[in-house]
Amino acid sequence: MSPVPGNSPQLQSLQGNQACALGAIAAGCRLFAGYPITPSSEIAERMSKELPRVDGVFVQMEDEIASMAACLGGSLGGVKSMTATSGPGFSLKQENIGYGIQAEIPCVVINVMRGGPSTGMPTRPAQGDVMQARWGTHGDHPIIVLTPSSVQEIYQQTIQAFNFSETYRIPVIVLYDEAIGHLVDTVELPDPKDIETTDRKWATGPAEDYLPYAPDKDGIPPMPRPGDGYRTHTTGLTHLETGFPTQVPDDVTRVTSRLLDKIENHRDEIEQYELLSCGDADILIVAFGITARASERAVNMARDKGIKAGLLRPVTLWPFPEKALQELAGHAKHVLVPEMNAGQLILEIERLCAGSVPVSGINRFDGETIKPNEVLAKIEELNNG
Amino acid sequence: MSKTDGYEIRLSGTGGQGLGLGGKMLAAALSSEGLHVAQSQSYEPTSRGGMSRSDLVVSRQTADYPLATGLDYLLILDKRAISISEGMINKDAVVLVDEELVPDPPSGHFKVHALPLSRTAISLGNLRVTNVVSLGALIALGDFCSIETMEAAIKQVTPKKYAQMNLDAVRAGYELVQH
Amino acid sequence: MVESAMPLKIRQKSVDGARDEFEIRDYLRLDLFPHFLCPGCGHGIALRALLWAIHDLDIEKDQLAIVSGIGCSGRLSAYVDANTFHTTHGRPLAFAAGLKLARPDLHVIVITGDGDCLAIGGNHLIHAARRNLDITCIMMNNEVYGMTGGQVSPTTSLDRFTTTTPMGNQEPGFDACALAKGAGATFVGREVTLQTTALKNLMQEGLVHKGFSFVEVISDCTEIYGRKNDLGSSPEMVLSQKRSVLPRFDGTAVDKPFRAGNWETGILSRQERPEYYSAYRAHCHKVLGK
Repeated sequence: MSPVPGNSPQLQSLQGNQACALGAIAAGCRLFAGYPITPSSEIAERMSKELPRVDGVFVQMEDEIASMAACLGGSLGGVKSMTATSGPGFSLKQENIGYGIQAEIPCVVINVMRGGPSTGMPTRPAQGDVMQARWGTHGDHPIIVLTPSSVQEIYQQTIQAFNFSETYRIPVIVLYDEAIGHLVDTVELPDPKDIETTDRKWATGPAEDYLPYAPDKDGIPPMPRPGDGYRTHTTGLTHLETGFPTQVPDDVTRVTSRLLDKIENHRDEIEQYELLSCGDADILIVAFGITARASERAVNMARDKGIKAGLLRPVTLWPFPEKALQELAGHAKHVLVPEMNAGQLILEIERLCAGSVPVSGINRFDGETIKPNEVLAKIEELNNG
Repeated sequence: MSKTDGYEIRLSGTGGQGLGLGGKMLAAALSSEGLHVAQSQSYEPTSRGGMSRSDLVVSRQTADYPLATGLDYLLILDKRAISISEGMINKDAVVLVDEELVPDPPSGHFKVHALPLSRTAISLGNLRVTNVVSLGALIALGDFCSIETMEAAIKQVTPKKYAQMNLDAVRAGYELVQH
Repeated sequence: MVESAMPLKIRQKSVDGARDEFEIRDYLRLDLFPHFLCPGCGHGIALRALLWAIHDLDIEKDQLAIVSGIGCSGRLSAYVDANTFHTTHGRPLAFAAGLKLARPDLHVIVITGDGDCLAIGGNHLIHAARRNLDITCIMMNNEVYGMTGGQVSPTTSLDRFTTTTPMGNQEPGFDACALAKGAGATFVGREVTLQTTALKNLMQEGLVHKGFSFVEVISDCTEIYGRKNDLGSSPEMVLSQKRSVLPRFDGTAVDKPFRAGNWETGILSRQERPEYYSAYRAHCHKVLGK
């Protein structure tokens, strides 16, 4: 995209999906494996253009499953890797996402949400993958899911996703709706010098003593780079610190707990959220993506009318910012969860509020975004009720 | 959003009328004046023939809500596109329609201008520049962007071989209103 | 290290005498032994041939990546002292593609089986062949899903009994080599485990080949498939391979099969075509004027 004339060179007009690609490049992504799918294809298209310029590799694989596999393969080779998809493609990637979690392979998966289930509405926005992003792959597992709500934030959160994935050795999902993905907005990209990027801990020291899945104090094992002499084994089977499989109950409990704790114990560093007018809010809205933007407008309109409404916008959808919610909900009279699905995030909010405050939702799954007026109307209804 | 904060523009019609490109030209023009522009389009699987719209939410800072909610400037190039904007046209909005393609324009607390947009494009030798003719007319009616700024943006956005054609088109549209 | 698990010490001189004697223990993770393969399974012979070829080519273990899928063949990677990746069912070629693109300096070998490679992973095989990335794919064909208890596979012979063909298999099978060749594989070969030296030589040729090479190994599942079909015990099954092959070297038949409709062996196809990664990088540099 050409810079907007007359402004600083960093200010530019950029589409959400393009911002994602540029964020990935800035984060150090050097391998992209993907498969075309609406409404995420612009990410692959932009990566195919950008990667050769930085001596990276773009490959369009034969299907969604192969894309996820190649992305993991690239990362196992030591290169920051990404794939991007939507709805049906996200479903197809789930098994290999699980492999990435089990084998602790850093990578980034973008899911631009469209209407579902199945082929659903390819070109219409939705937020129906909240629970799939958390629980899409089988078995007990941790996950990190980031959910940007603006073009600018897609850029930033894609970088953040790489940093988290490298730090915690885990696939990180960036989840946003088609409305944000296809929005073209005026954004100010940071100077590349000011972008903080994180690289995974590499194994160092003698190969003889090296245990590939023995964690450091932070619960995260350093990663071996092929060619550095460690010659380790990577498997999707439940494995010991040696990397080799085990089915001994005590061992399985230990290694699987470590996998779960590695994220759970770092919640404070991972959880991100944004608050708007929450200090004295009677009506607390919890929303993400384009719905958070509508809620932001609605909160401002409600405040103009003297209604004490506030917005908690989770940026990390998973792990959900639990403490922040519980604290705010403790002071609120109502919690309102607008979302473009039949009621998914609300399940988590109800679980966390545990009956301490009434929780209600606004739900749309007709391919249309929730409008500020709809949120305002509900705020007024709750305020009068 | 009040007009002092910003305003909303919609270009609507059918697929293939170049409304996305028109939106891009307009956004480039407004951005060049330091404004923030959030552009969204209806995004349909069929690239030709279906209902199409291109929205611009214009503001001094990043808009809280980036999608259109109340239109201040509306272009309609096909009667089938009327329904998508009904109920969201602001009071005193400027509504510009093609007098042949939209014979029965919407009415309300807003001013409707019916002009020979497509006919002007044909007289220039290319029906496909109706979008750019319309932009010229819209900025003349709306007074939110100077013709010079628009011309500079068109040069920036348009591939060289079409630049002159588009510059002629925007000027022709502008003069439709001026005369 | 469990020395007693492998009592036999077989030293084999390299064929051209250029390398030290091949000692398989140098290439295995012996502390994982005893291995989990059934007695008589052909996969061990195939793995030995592969390691022997790697030895004779003087490929450094640190630069060697073995990527496998799921099934009996999938478990083999764990026993090799190299960078080993036991991936998901059917996907080793796709993982290997990412690995090789990220690390063209590594020797990437895929070990897969007939179910892994031709059924669940069939799409990846044809596209790996088409792309011609420099990967060697060793497909162990034992005509059955052994790990899951003996179900029919895409290569199960007609009328054979499996747990999901209790009345005998009536589905036609794949000719994996014809499939790979048709999809564009630039090196295709097949060998039986009976002829271990020929198998090793074939693998060696595949490893040297620049581009996608596909080697099908006719390997016996004695415990499950053999027993279910009264094919005899291991020695009988291995010996019967002799009756069902049509050896071919560089396209020249030197022997006739004992039975009709049997497998051709040897190098079945070898062509030169640009290798994917080198071609991609060269093209990008050319277009970008680097």
